Amino acid sequence: MKKTGWVSVPGGIDSLESVESVESAGTTDTEQRPDSAEVRESGPPGVRATSRVLRVGLRTVVFLCLATVLTHAVLVFLHIAPSNAVSQRYSRQINAWVYPLFEQNWRLFAPDPDSVNRQISARTARTAADGTVQVSEWFDLTAVDKAAVEHSPFPSHTAQNELRRAWTSYLELHGGSDESPSARAVMMQKYLRNIAVARTSDHFGKAAPFIQLRVVTVPVTALRPDGTRTAQSPPKNLETRLLPWWKVTSDGN
Amino acid sequence: MATERLSVRDRSRRLYALLTERPLSLYATAVLRIGYGLLYLGFLLREFPHRDEIWGPGSPWTPELAAELYDQTGWASILALSDSRTYFELCYALAVVVSALFALGWRTRAMSVLFALLVASFHSRSIFMTDGGDNLILLMAFYLVLTACGRRWSLDARRAARHGAAGDGRTTAPTGQLRWARTTLVTVLHNCGLIVIAVQVCFLYGSAGLYKVQGGTWGGGTALHYVLNLDLFRPWPALSQIADEQTVLLAITGYATVLLQVAFPFVLFGRLKYPVLTMLLGMHIGIAVLMGLPLFSGAMIVADLIFLPDRFYLALGHLCRRLARRELRPTSPSKPASPSPEGPPTTALLPQQGGPDGPVKSGLHASSSPSRPPS
Repeated sequence: MKKTGWVSVPGGIDSLESVESVESAGTTDTEQRPDSAEVRESGPPGVRATSRVLRVGLRTVVFLCLATVLTHAVLVFLHIAPSNAVSQRYSRQINAWVYPLFEQNWRLFAPDPDSVNRQISARTARTAADGTVQVSEWFDLTAVDKAAVEHSPFPSHTAQNELRRAWTSYLELHGGSDESPSARAVMMQKYLRNIAVARTSDHFGKAAPFIQLRVVTVPVTALRPDGTRTAQSPPKNLETRLLPWWKVTSDGN
Repeated sequence: MATERLSVRDRSRRLYALLTERPLSLYATAVLRIGYGLLYLGFLLREFPHRDEIWGPGSPWTPELAAELYDQTGWASILALSDSRTYFELCYALAVVVSALFALGWRTRAMSVLFALLVASFHSRSIFMTDGGDNLILLMAFYLVLTACGRRWSLDARRAARHGAAGDGRTTAPTGQLRWARTTLVTVLHNCGLIVIAVQVCFLYGSAGLYKVQGGTWGGGTALHYVLNLDLFRPWPALSQIADEQTVLLAITGYATVLLQVAFPFVLFGRLKYPVLTMLLGMHIGIAVLMGLPLFSGAMIVADLIFLPDRFYLALGHLCRRLARRELRPTSPSKPASPSPEGPPTTALLPQQGGPDGPVKSGLHASSSPSRPPS
C-alpha cells in the first residue's frame, strides 16, 4: 500500500501546503481519514500561515496532556495494586499524586467478604440525686440499622455505613486495645461515641454523662466448598467486646 | 494492511490526529453526565431526612473533627467554611440544583466544575460514611470536568441548534487562529478525559477481580454465601435466603464475577464487550436489589456506559423517538411524551452494576493494609 499523502509532504503537518498536497494525493488510506486530520493539524481551514508559535505551543500542550494522562494512570495503578517493590520505592510520589483527590480502593468483597456480622449495643450511666449510679438497659444500635435497611429499596448511608464503618475504622486504628495510639484513633473514638450518644439520646429521651459500647461478633454460618454448612450453634462462637465507659461531652469533641 | 507498515513517526501523527481532530464519544460522555448528575441528585434527595446527620453541623463527625482531618489530609470542603445550619442548608440546596442542571446540561462546563466541587465537598465531609459508589462518583465528577459532556443531549446542545450551529455548540464561524487553537485544546482535553475515564474503569474492575483471586472463598465458590448473609445488606431477607440456598448457582456466579472483572480490560476492543457488559449489567442489577446498593450499582453501570460507541446511542435515540412517535399517534394526544432522546436511555440503563461490595475501607487515611489470604 502506498504511503499516505501527508506523510511524504515536506514540512509535515506544519504547512498549509501540505493540506493541498494531501488533497491532490488523496487516494490513499480512507479508513484513517488522513485528509481531515491533516487539515486540522495544519491550522484552521481558510486561515493562511498559522503562527508557528501557536502551533508549537499547541503541540507542547498536547504532549503535556498525554504525559499527564500516562502519569495519572501509572500512579493510580500503583496506588490500587497490591503493595509491591515499585509502589514501595515510589510511595512518596504516588501518595503525593493520589492523595487526597484520587484515593480509591476497589477491594470489593475481596480478598474475602466479611464472614461475621457485628451487633453493637450501647448503654448509658448517670449519677442520681442520691449519689447512686444508674445504668440503663443495653440498646441495640445495629438492630435499628437492620430494621431501617429491611424492605427498603434504597437504604440510607446512615443505616448501612455510619455505625458499621465507624466501628471497622475504630478497630483498624485501635486493634484489640481501647487506648487510642494516635491522633486519628482519638478522632475515631470520638466519632463512634458521638454516634452512640446521638442514638441513645434519641432512644432514652435525653443525654447521659457516660456511655459504654458492647460489640458482639456473630460469625456467618460457614459454607464449605462441598456445599455443607456448619451446624448453627451461634451462642458458642460469639465474641463479645466490652468497651470502657466514655465521658460524654456536650459539643461532641 | 497499511497500518502494519507505518513508521513510528506516522503512528504518532495518527495518534496526534486522533487526539486533536475531533472529540470522541460525545454521546457516551453525555450519558455519564446525565447518569452521575441524576444519581447524585437521587442520593441527595434520598438522604434529605438525614442530611444534617451526614453532612451538616449536627453530624457525629463534628465540624471540628472534619476540620482536624482536613488539616491532616489536605482536603478542603466548602461545607467547612461555616458551622451555621443556614449555610449548610444553602449548600445542600445548591448541590441539588447543580446536580439537576448538570444532568440537564445547562452551561455544562461551568456546572461540571461546580458539580465536582460540591461532590468533593460533600464526600469529604462524610468520608467515613461513604462506600465504593460514592468514591466512583467523586472520581467521575473530576474527570467529567475535562470532557465536553454537554455537546449532546443537553440544553446547551439544544440552544446551539436553535442558533444554527449545527448542534455542535462551539463551531460557529471560525474567527482565526486563537479560536482554532481553543477548539483544538478543548478537543484534546476531552479526549484525554475520555482516556482517563476508560482507564479508571478498567483499573477498577481489574483490581476488584485480582483481589478476589487472592481470596479463599472466591476460589472455593462460597464467597457469595457470605455476601448474602451480611445483615446490613439484606433488604429482602426472604430473597437473600432463597438465593443463598442455590449453592451451585452461587459458585457459578461467584466464578463468573471474578472472571468478568479480570477479563474486563481485555474484552473492550472486540465484540465480546457487548455480552460482557450485558452480564455486568445483570450482576449490578442483582447487587442493587439483593444488597440494597442502588447508588453503588448505579455508579458502576453508568461507568460501564462509557464503552458503548456513539452509533449505539444514536440508534437508541432513533429508536426512542420512533417509539415515542408511534405511541403518540394512536393514543390520545394528551400524553406529553417529550421524545428527547436522553431520557429513555439513561433511565432504562441506570439500575445496576456494582461490584460486589462495599465501602472504601480507609476513607481519607492512608493506613490499612489489605488483609491477606491464608497462603
